[in-house]
Amino acid sequence: MGRLLTLRHAYPTSSRLVGTVVLAVLCVAITFTLTALDDSKLAGGAAIAIVIVGLSWLIGWSGQVSLGNSGFMAIGAYVTAIWANHHASTPIIFTLLLATACGAVGGLILALPSTRLRGPYLAGMTLAFSFAVAPLALNFPSLTGGSGGLFLNFLSAPRWFQGLFSGSQALIRANAQWTADVAIVVAAVAFFFMANLIHSSTGRAMRLVRDNDVAAELAGVNLQRTRTLAFAISAAYAGLGGSLLTLLTGSVTPQTYSLPLSILLLTLMVLGGIGTLSGAIIGGLIYSYSDNLVSLINKATGINPTSTFGANLKGIVFGVLLIATMLLAPRGIVGMGRRLTSMIKRPARES
Amino acid sequence: MINQLRRYAVVLSVSAVSLSTISAGVLIGSNGAGAAGATPGVTAKTITIGATVPLSGLAAGYAEVSAAAAAVFSYVNSKGGVNGRKINYIRKDDCYNIDAAGCTANVGATPTLTQTQTLVTQNNVFAEVGSLGTAAQDSVLAYLNQNKVPDLFVNSGSSDWNQPKKYPALFGYQPSYRAESKIFAAWIKQHKPGATVGTIGQGDDFGANGLAGLLAGGLSIASANRLTYNPANLLNPTALQAELVQDLTVLKTNNVSVVVLDSIPPITQGILEIAHQLSFTPQWVISTVGSDPLSVATPLEVGSITMTFFPSTATTSNTWNAWLKKVILAAPHDTTNFPNYFTGANAGVLDANMQYGAGYAVAFCEALKSLGKNVTRAGFLKAMTTVKFSIPSLVPLSYTKGQHQGLQGGSIATIVANKVPTSPPQYAALVGNAEYTTGDYANTKIVSNKQTVTPIPSWLK
Amino acid sequence: MGSFVTSRFITYLLGGISSGIVIALVALSLVIIWKSTHVLNFAQGAMGMFATFVGMNLVFKGTNYWLCVLLSLAVGLALGGVTERLLIRPLYGKPEINPIVVMVGFLGVLESAIPSIWHTNLLPVPTPFSQIYYQDHGHTILVSPFVIFQVSLALGIMGGVALLFQYTNLGLKMRAAALAPEVSRLLGVRVNRLLTLGWILSSGVGAMAAVIVSSGQSLAATNMDGIFVSAFIAAAVGGLESPVGAITGGLLIGVTESLILGYWSSNMAPLAGVLVLVASLAIRPQGIFTRNSSRRV
Repeated sequence: MGRLLTLRHAYPTSSRLVGTVVLAVLCVAITFTLTALDDSKLAGGAAIAIVIVGLSWLIGWSGQVSLGNSGFMAIGAYVTAIWANHHASTPIIFTLLLATACGAVGGLILALPSTRLRGPYLAGMTLAFSFAVAPLALNFPSLTGGSGGLFLNFLSAPRWFQGLFSGSQALIRANAQWTADVAIVVAAVAFFFMANLIHSSTGRAMRLVRDNDVAAELAGVNLQRTRTLAFAISAAYAGLGGSLLTLLTGSVTPQTYSLPLSILLLTLMVLGGIGTLSGAIIGGLIYSYSDNLVSLINKATGINPTSTFGANLKGIVFGVLLIATMLLAPRGIVGMGRRLTSMIKRPARES
Repeated sequence: MINQLRRYAVVLSVSAVSLSTISAGVLIGSNGAGAAGATPGVTAKTITIGATVPLSGLAAGYAEVSAAAAAVFSYVNSKGGVNGRKINYIRKDDCYNIDAAGCTANVGATPTLTQTQTLVTQNNVFAEVGSLGTAAQDSVLAYLNQNKVPDLFVNSGSSDWNQPKKYPALFGYQPSYRAESKIFAAWIKQHKPGATVGTIGQGDDFGANGLAGLLAGGLSIASANRLTYNPANLLNPTALQAELVQDLTVLKTNNVSVVVLDSIPPITQGILEIAHQLSFTPQWVISTVGSDPLSVATPLEVGSITMTFFPSTATTSNTWNAWLKKVILAAPHDTTNFPNYFTGANAGVLDANMQYGAGYAVAFCEALKSLGKNVTRAGFLKAMTTVKFSIPSLVPLSYTKGQHQGLQGGSIATIVANKVPTSPPQYAALVGNAEYTTGDYANTKIVSNKQTVTPIPSWLK
Repeated sequence: MGSFVTSRFITYLLGGISSGIVIALVALSLVIIWKSTHVLNFAQGAMGMFATFVGMNLVFKGTNYWLCVLLSLAVGLALGGVTERLLIRPLYGKPEINPIVVMVGFLGVLESAIPSIWHTNLLPVPTPFSQIYYQDHGHTILVSPFVIFQVSLALGIMGGVALLFQYTNLGLKMRAAALAPEVSRLLGVRVNRLLTLGWILSSGVGAMAAVIVSSGQSLAATNMDGIFVSAFIAAAVGGLESPVGAITGGLLIGVTESLILGYWSSNMAPLAGVLVLVASLAIRPQGIFTRNSSRRV
């Protein structure tokens, strides 16, 4: 894993901040031109991108394979739903921060038995953890709503935002777009912090532990603490993503965040590109538009979408993509892009 | 220096682009299609309604319900529609909100929400009519309420659809699980006095409400005999098997002689078979949700008690049954809609799902007809509480300002054996009177009356 | 005596042993692959189900049950070999996470391909053994002829694998190839071929586990999902290097699950794996049965 990920250019923090703001404003502007349905999709994609970037941090930068991120999403999701049902008027920011903190705490707890483990044992431990969430939710039904889960009100656009819309379906479009814009802003903030983390001394220590833990210890890095921090941060991001997703869909059940989701996150992360910020964004976009992609494939190849083959096409396509990516292009889409640009640049440099 | 200038230039130009995009978007938005005041989904010649129903996946057996409703709308359209308006009924597959186990909808991890959003924002429906599933519909109540879309005749026995103050545009259809269980309790007390009673219920509101109704009906059930199965195990057959073996072993060991089931058809089938393997033969009392003999499809169900809201499908003399057969045959001949009706061992046998779907379609047409030419959402909601519905049910369908549940009861029925005893049963036969509750829960009485079946309106014949 | 056998505890224990045996079988197959190629085969359960679908669907058409079982075995063996050559061989020498991800992808492909090839059939696969549990004076003992068959078949397979590894030349070569590939090559052992053989064997065992699980139950691509997770954890508990450890881990988890199901609630059953894993890590962080301490220097 080490040889795959090295640091590229390091911009100063101030320009990173400006870049993030500019990008966020551009995305928000784009939401104004999209349909309500597309806005809802993008919102979901933004939330997933946040979780992917946290997973990328854990697996890519700190070298620990975890299959338990859906569990942390569940923690963030349930905390959000329980809190929103009891304190409906809290500003969104507070709820999101609360969920992030709870996710981090969860990460610390999981890190306790896990940071001594390597490779498959770690994967097994995190897998077992992700399986613990549903039983716990089911066993405290008065708190978690049991099997039926919890429901909360959808994010409603504030009055001043609604005022920007008129005509038919104004209310619907306003609400859909508000959720997309909130998601984009939250994702921008989360990505900004992640970019800073990667380039900080913590990030460097993380990479050192990943590549050569003996050298790291000799250099005075505390292995346990570094690995635990990696878990905690990754879990915090998952909690934030789960919280945002809950606010967007208005519900959380024990089945929402389970093993298939962990596997999907892994898939999207690999497809986008492990350890890259842009890869996480690509992963989020793929999540939003995977069904459109499959419809395109159906139309292009003439497969009937309601036939048994057409219905399962999505799973087959994703599985094949994942296998092909790992065999042929392990750095994902972003990695392929970088290879292409460096191939284009190379002749110029050599001449 | 130049780098800094370049950076400022980039920032400025991007901001300019963004601001102009935003203003353009706002301007375009305010000249949006359609006048601000028009009723969504209604034109002079058509009215568009929709539903999110399981057309594939593990609950695909319920697809017939909305297919029957669609057949009724198609029949009404063929006679000119309602007050000159044809009904455009859009059914979207939400796989019971479970994106697994054969779901062909391809709409992501929250199918019901996504399909509902599509119906509301793209198809611009006037209302949802006959959407199915407790958990599925629970997940979109807030969305529909937020966007003021009526949600009518929800196919589920939950009491969640009976919250007129919080959700004034939400209406249920079938009796609540609590009411059904209260009626079961009365039958058990009368016919099996002193028996030890046990329950196996789905581990969610469905099972919990069923149990609450039994207790409210005066049955005493030892807590060791109140068992559940985890609905998440629907996707994990081996775990489900282990669970059911466990539950039934406990009931057998405790000498339970009457078992009430609040389960969906595939689970009912599993329970009956495992009980057979354990040589356990109590009197089964099965909720309407999971008792349809054509879905449960095992001779082990013969002799079970259940409830039905409609006249027995075996009664060929019933005019509604005859009418329904006519309607189904006239429907666009898509045999995939009614896979068991046109071919196979059960060809020509009407089932309860079809009656159920036809019932709410007829009710919708009647409410629509009462509005005349001018159709608005507010007007329709009022009509729901004032129209005297005439549908095939055994007890009257009515709503009031304070009650949005719908039907309040039905008749006890028993599953009768097929003429060929080794084949699965096809019918349930009515036993006794129509029973209905006068309210929903703790303080209600059960009223027992002869079944009343209202006549078919002349314009529908 | 009668009441002892039918007492609650023994009932749960019996149930736990019969389900634990299957978990142990799958855990064994995971250990075989790990020992030979250091890969975690996430698609183990799905590969087994694929083989089962090919073979056991024919029982509905009237084919003899045993012939179908053999067919499933054959498909399982072939699938293992093909998978290793095409998907795993190209990844030797690459980072550890790559084959894991490839197998996860393969899992997705299989679980989507199976329902697209075969129509969903809710009928249980008929078996030649009665599933009616034995009764003792009206008390049920959770053992039926079918359960006896399941357990016997699983034990037989385990015994066969043990015999293969301990007493045959081939087994010796496989163990050598896994432990010291370079030395084995020098001694003329065809290491690569034996690695493929490891996958073939493991996949065959997995297919048999899937056949055992799916008999008497309806065929669904997800039948093995829960068992796979438990088997994974069992293998980790036993220490991935030890077949005996995997089997013990499997039985432990099966019994724990059954006891939780009986004494606590069915909701908490998935916690069995977590509890056993945490407990075993607390006692012996390297895994209970590993002989050498696996700290890298």
